Amino acid sequence: MGEEEKFDAIIIGAGPAGTACAYVLAKEGKNVLLIERGVSAGSKNVTGGRLYTYALELVEPGLHSEAPLERKVIREQIMMLGKKSAVTIDYLDYTFKEEVPQSYSVLRAPFDEWFAGKAEEQGAMVASGILVDDLLFEGNKVIGVKAGEDEMYADVVIAADGINSFMAQKAGLRSDLTGHMVGVGVKEVIELPAEIIQDRFNVASDEGTARMIIGCTEGIQGGGFLYTNKDSVSLGIVFSPENAAKQGKSIHEIYQDFKMHPAIYPLIRDGNTVEYGAHLVPESGWRGVPQKLYRDGFIVTGDAAGFCINTGTILRGIDLAIVSGVAAARAVIEAKDGSTVGTSYMRELEQLGLIPTMKLFAGWPDIVAIPRMAETYPHLANDALRFMFTVDGTVPEKMPKAMRAIVKKHVSMGQLIADGWKGVTSI
Amino acid sequence: MAGIFIYSEDTNVAQQMLTMGRELADKMQQRLCAVTIFEQDAQDLVDAGADKVFVLKGDSAWPESYAPAVADLAAKEEPIAIFIGATLRGKDLAAKVAARLKSGLVTDAFAVRLENGDIETDRVMYGGLAVCTEILQGTSVVTIPPRTFDMPAKVSGRAGEIVKLDVTVDSTMAVGNVCPIVRQGADIATAEKLVCVGRGLGKQEDMQLAKDLAAALGAEIGCTRSIAEDYHWLPNETYIGLSGQKVKPVLYLSMGVSGQVQHVAGIRDSKIIVAIDSNENAPIFAAADYGIVGDLYQIVPLLTEAIRNK
Amino acid sequence: MPNIIACYKWVLDEQDIKINPGNLALDTSRAKCKISEYDRNAIEEAVLQVDKCGAVVASLTFGTSVAKQSLKDALSRGPEKAYWVNDTAAQTADGFVTANVLAAALRKIGDYDLVLCGEGSADTYGQQVGPRVATLLGIPVITFVTEMKIEGNKVIATRKIGDCTETVTADFPVLVTVLPEINKPRIPSLKQVLGAAKKPVTEWKAADLGLATDELSPKNKVKSIKGFVMNRKNVIYKEGSPTEKVASLAATLAKEGVL
Repeated sequence: MGEEEKFDAIIIGAGPAGTACAYVLAKEGKNVLLIERGVSAGSKNVTGGRLYTYALELVEPGLHSEAPLERKVIREQIMMLGKKSAVTIDYLDYTFKEEVPQSYSVLRAPFDEWFAGKAEEQGAMVASGILVDDLLFEGNKVIGVKAGEDEMYADVVIAADGINSFMAQKAGLRSDLTGHMVGVGVKEVIELPAEIIQDRFNVASDEGTARMIIGCTEGIQGGGFLYTNKDSVSLGIVFSPENAAKQGKSIHEIYQDFKMHPAIYPLIRDGNTVEYGAHLVPESGWRGVPQKLYRDGFIVTGDAAGFCINTGTILRGIDLAIVSGVAAARAVIEAKDGSTVGTSYMRELEQLGLIPTMKLFAGWPDIVAIPRMAETYPHLANDALRFMFTVDGTVPEKMPKAMRAIVKKHVSMGQLIADGWKGVTSI
Repeated sequence: MAGIFIYSEDTNVAQQMLTMGRELADKMQQRLCAVTIFEQDAQDLVDAGADKVFVLKGDSAWPESYAPAVADLAAKEEPIAIFIGATLRGKDLAAKVAARLKSGLVTDAFAVRLENGDIETDRVMYGGLAVCTEILQGTSVVTIPPRTFDMPAKVSGRAGEIVKLDVTVDSTMAVGNVCPIVRQGADIATAEKLVCVGRGLGKQEDMQLAKDLAAALGAEIGCTRSIAEDYHWLPNETYIGLSGQKVKPVLYLSMGVSGQVQHVAGIRDSKIIVAIDSNENAPIFAAADYGIVGDLYQIVPLLTEAIRNK
Repeated sequence: MPNIIACYKWVLDEQDIKINPGNLALDTSRAKCKISEYDRNAIEEAVLQVDKCGAVVASLTFGTSVAKQSLKDALSRGPEKAYWVNDTAAQTADGFVTANVLAAALRKIGDYDLVLCGEGSADTYGQQVGPRVATLLGIPVITFVTEMKIEGNKVIATRKIGDCTETVTADFPVLVTVLPEINKPRIPSLKQVLGAAKKPVTEWKAADLGLATDELSPKNKVKSIKGFVMNRKNVIYKEGSPTEKVASLAATLAKEGVL
């Protein structure tokens, strides 16, 4: 391997963003190196989670049918927990599984590894178990990377190294993460026989559920999730570490309480825990995306660029990562040299709809951040429905009066209006 | 095929295997034959139960050089099974014999039994995670760890045939500079009571806690692999585990040991296993008879005190 | 310039193996593979000789198609080429079969001065393949080696045999099995990982080595492989003050008669 040999692109991180980029570049015949610090692609990644299929189709039509994906999500649910009750909105839509199914639940270890293997098949060089320590500069331009003693050069270096991107920091495009920019996600994979999952969640053998839960984080800003995989359930919560610290609660304790909730526990009863992990999640949406996503010879993709959307009902990360990886690849293919790649990249991100989408949902983190969303409103909803469904022989109050009382019990008019206003303006 | 053969360069190990061999030979109505390279051990082996002893006489003191001779003897006699002591020298020789005989070789069998006329063996796999049971086919070689079987009751002057054979030894290697490894401490493999330290111990000075407890109990001190090989707080001969010492104490008490499979494989034969660790999910508790979930820095001194007062 | 062949086995990582609590069957479906630990020491020792005495090193493995991934791993550790006997016989192979295959492969490679093996594999820990191969090839074997050097066409090795060490010398060709304390295997660097992809691999089937069916069938019959379960009392004192817990334990141990 001579010093003169240079790659067209070196990609740091074999997660969905990095691998999608490597795949598209390699397919185009570019000389690309994909470096992953984990022993295998996916070993350092955690997701809720689910993958929106359009993104895989963007990389290569038909790829989704080869990928190790779990269940086609046809049931979308929102659950609001009370102390011993829950309000669940269940939306069942069979069109979601037709043709190219809209989304699949996914497990990262097999998926990421498979995906990296596909990129390798296309001709990308994949090096696992290697940590990139630094970027190499020539004047203002990024010209390569340094890993241990080794220096490798490329026309473009692409950072796809995840939420706490050291590479973006080394390039001066972002500073270290602060508490309010991220959420901490805790997740457990609980093994259950497929038939039991199908019975408990009322889905067929290739179908699945995605559920978002609020009221499960003991008042701390955040929420929970549940996804059905083929023969396991992914269960977890994400919340603000800053908030949690202020309230002196342990993440694991809160998660355990959530798991034991009478509306949750029966769903995972008798299951076998096979994985228990945590990961940071970008929480700020568009506002968390660095001012500049590129400099001469260098672009930032995926979680490293903060490309995540959380609307409280929809969580998107993997698909946006993949789209950004494709955008990066296209930019490299179009560009004459490293200096124009950045602007091409931004243009691709616009054209592929990623930036407009991020901007559209820019205000949503504010809704998620409304303190009362975490507990007050879920409890309010439960109380309201409890009132509506209680029949115990006594004469109930008149509906409007009762409702007002319930609302007042939880929140003042002023707070309600303020929250409502915030909600409306955020959207 | 006829006969059950036993060989070890260590006469004690050979005699332990004769205990098992005698039972097996009686059940199968076969002759029990011992092979030795030390003429002076021949009668002992007969006293210990061998019907016949083959003494291999060659001009070498290096046990490994007798592999071709043992193999030749086995090829000629065609025993049903050859049990070789699983000392390191024994394993080396056993593999060479098996290759020569084109036979199977079961390493470190911890159980041997007759089942429906066949000899079955048990051994561990995957670092102690699993047990593999095999049915021996044809002349098979099996290595048996020392102390798997007890010493037999010897009958002084028992009748048995002793045959001396002049053999050629393997002289393709030159052996020299034999240095005994000075054991720095007691032999934990034979200790009655053991205190075992693991990575829960923060620093080397904290070993004093273990020493005090061991003194109160009358126990020796052992450790997990990383304490010996990585930290060097104790000599390598004191680490307990699949690739280290296998212990058989009446009492094994660990502190700060998480209980990985490889370590547990070394303590399986302990009569009573006690564990002290701060993590209630530590695997050691599933392998223990008794235990305390707690901070060892608090628990151990209190326990030492309580034992002294009993 | 000695020719060295370093043998390795691509094994399941025992940490990923689960035991089915019902029937104690082993679930290896999630298990990843790795180069068996002591084999990494063997490869490392071989590669260290490149600088020490200009050795030329190749790796050799016997595995099913699953072992394809191992080639990159092995080559990134320094050998300049790899030999792979890719055969389904590896699925059920015992020490007898593995030794037959490796010996046949070595005969086909022809020119070797030193063969290095790990003392035992991480999965079965049979500790037998090395000496078996040497016996089949009719060459001397030095086992349990913790230190080794090559002088001219001789190997001088230190063995650690439990209660003593000894120095053994043998002329080429010779087979050596190593203990992990002999060296610390390198973590391949980026250039070494990338370089691995360019190194040549020679692939053979067992048939290419002229092996008969009975040489590829394991000798003993495996009756069962079951998870090992310790059935212990599991009386664990979790609640109460340290003094209380200690008192309970001490009383119990006294009753058991072990104090």
